[in-house]
Amino acid sequence: MKSIIISWLVILLLATVSFSQQLSGEDIIQKVNELFNPQTSYGKAMMTIVTTSGSNRTFVYESWSKDKGEKNLVRYLEPSRVKDQATLMLNHADDIWMYFPRTQRVRKLATHAKKQKMQGSDFSYEDMGGGDVFITDFSPKRLEDEKMEDHDCYKLELTRKPNVDISYSRLIMWIIKENFVPIVIDYYDEDDPDLSEKRLVQSDIRTIDNIPTAMKVVMYNKNDNTQTEIELLEVKYNIPLDDEMFTERGLKK
Amino acid sequence: MKKWISLLLFLSFYVSPLMAQEEVELFGYFESQIMGAKIKSDFNQLYSNKLRVDIKSGFYENVTFAANFDYITYHGKTEWNVLDFLSSGITSKVSQDMESYYVIPFSDRNFLDNAYIRLTFENLDLTVGKQQISLGTGYVWNPMDVFNIKDVLDPTYEQPGHNAVRMDVPLGSIYTLTALYSPEDTWRNSAKLFRFKGRISHFDYSLIAIEKLWRFHDYTQLDTTDTAFPELPEKRRLLGASTAGELLGLGVWAEYGYNKMENSKDFHELVVGTDYTFDFQTYIMVEFYRNTLGKTDFEQYNINDWMRQFAAEQKAISRDQIYSFIQHPATDFLSMGLSSIYSISDNSLALVPTFNYSFSVNVDIMAYLNFNFGREGKVFAKNTGNGGLLRARIYF
Repeated sequence: MKSIIISWLVILLLATVSFSQQLSGEDIIQKVNELFNPQTSYGKAMMTIVTTSGSNRTFVYESWSKDKGEKNLVRYLEPSRVKDQATLMLNHADDIWMYFPRTQRVRKLATHAKKQKMQGSDFSYEDMGGGDVFITDFSPKRLEDEKMEDHDCYKLELTRKPNVDISYSRLIMWIIKENFVPIVIDYYDEDDPDLSEKRLVQSDIRTIDNIPTAMKVVMYNKNDNTQTEIELLEVKYNIPLDDEMFTERGLKK
Repeated sequence: MKKWISLLLFLSFYVSPLMAQEEVELFGYFESQIMGAKIKSDFNQLYSNKLRVDIKSGFYENVTFAANFDYITYHGKTEWNVLDFLSSGITSKVSQDMESYYVIPFSDRNFLDNAYIRLTFENLDLTVGKQQISLGTGYVWNPMDVFNIKDVLDPTYEQPGHNAVRMDVPLGSIYTLTALYSPEDTWRNSAKLFRFKGRISHFDYSLIAIEKLWRFHDYTQLDTTDTAFPELPEKRRLLGASTAGELLGLGVWAEYGYNKMENSKDFHELVVGTDYTFDFQTYIMVEFYRNTLGKTDFEQYNINDWMRQFAAEQKAISRDQIYSFIQHPATDFLSMGLSSIYSISDNSLALVPTFNYSFSVNVDIMAYLNFNFGREGKVFAKNTGNGGLLRARIYF
């Protein structure tokens, strides 16, 4: 009996190793994309920008997403300067609207606006995801597996597809084998694929509603020597969200 | 002093009890500003302090109340005579005894800028009270907006509230029908608006019909009481359309308004604009504006044109103009920019270097300079007051 169990364990182990070796770059990035885009989600987050002078600036915002990231809404709660300012992204962020409460004006933005920094942070709207850019804008290539931040990781190189208007020429991504959370992402310069511009590090991974979630995300900007930390204060997945929330009416609420 | 007491009374009697309820939010800002302009050999300065207090509350589910109270004080040169900015060809036609009537005064003010209740039903929003009305997709000029005229040097500044009853009816997730009634002394003189908004592919569009009494003035003579310029109210009916979207990676927008006038000649306005953000964070924008009410030859400008522009009764006095803007974040919190406004019709140009600094998370400092490069008598003539503005604002 004991030998049967051992045989099964060996088979299972081999199958797991074989499975992980068989996964192509496309398979892995597809799983990462699925993880990033649950059916619906709600989050409340605190974003802290550490400036070049070392001082901190803090923003608090809420975000909602629906239809696996096809619809996204972000609304600022703090500070007063940006309170109630909101951004609606539909069609995987191909359509963007911003609401400015002081002028009560909704402005439709073109997708190039995603390149702008989010409140002066090291995250651009593009970096904040909102959609499946890893799939649509990049071609994945699996590199040799590596250990990163004490995790066994898949290592992927994502190269920008031709004629895609995105700010990075390539990304290098370390993805935890166990849960497909990208623990580190290096972003390379638009024109110089050897120049690493920014590094994103995810940590404090907890399982919430059966979805592994990094509760802390830090973006290090190597050019400016600044960093921005996003700490999730609250997360919920697969909650009922009304479609009307993702309309101009919902944006202005 | 009396006004400060009124403000304190307002805050104590109205705001404090509301604050006691958890649903009430109190916020706003304090803004201090200095504006200067060179007139002849003097550099004249106007200082202002503004306190804006906002309250917002959801007393009950689906009921929102929002209001803001503004208190503004002015100091320094609080009376500006428009004639000081105009060419001798214009001023020589103004009789001496009328010169003092062309003064625009800046007097201390305290007022309820917005105060409205919004009732949210399942299929419509009803907003009643003094509220901002923002129409159109243009950045600097909005042909569809008959309620507000933006300052070309400061186009994103908030606009005043207007008394109105507004109904927004969403038709599915893409379309919205808006009906608005802005009451005046009679039904006939009141503004009525209907707008239909929708989306085709990645383009938003809207169709609009507005009827409004346009209250402009005749600045060439005084009224029967000899105290003010006579008002020339005229019914204006506007049919317009706007769109905004993306084309070849560029942000694009357009806005058009055809104005049928009751007495004077009909006119139309058109705005077409585009913008782009480069990977290195530099943002550029260009917007073209045509107003057939404007003149094609600067020698046709008269005192009425100038006064209507200064009094914000008319958007532009030259027919065609281009606004361009370039901005780059110099550091995390400092943006440097340059805007230019070029009047194609009279070949004059204003250059406006801008500076935006986020001093701390709730403190902004903004400054701009304006330099005009045009012959005397043109829209951006050298003698129309090169100057600038410095503004510090703290949000609470």
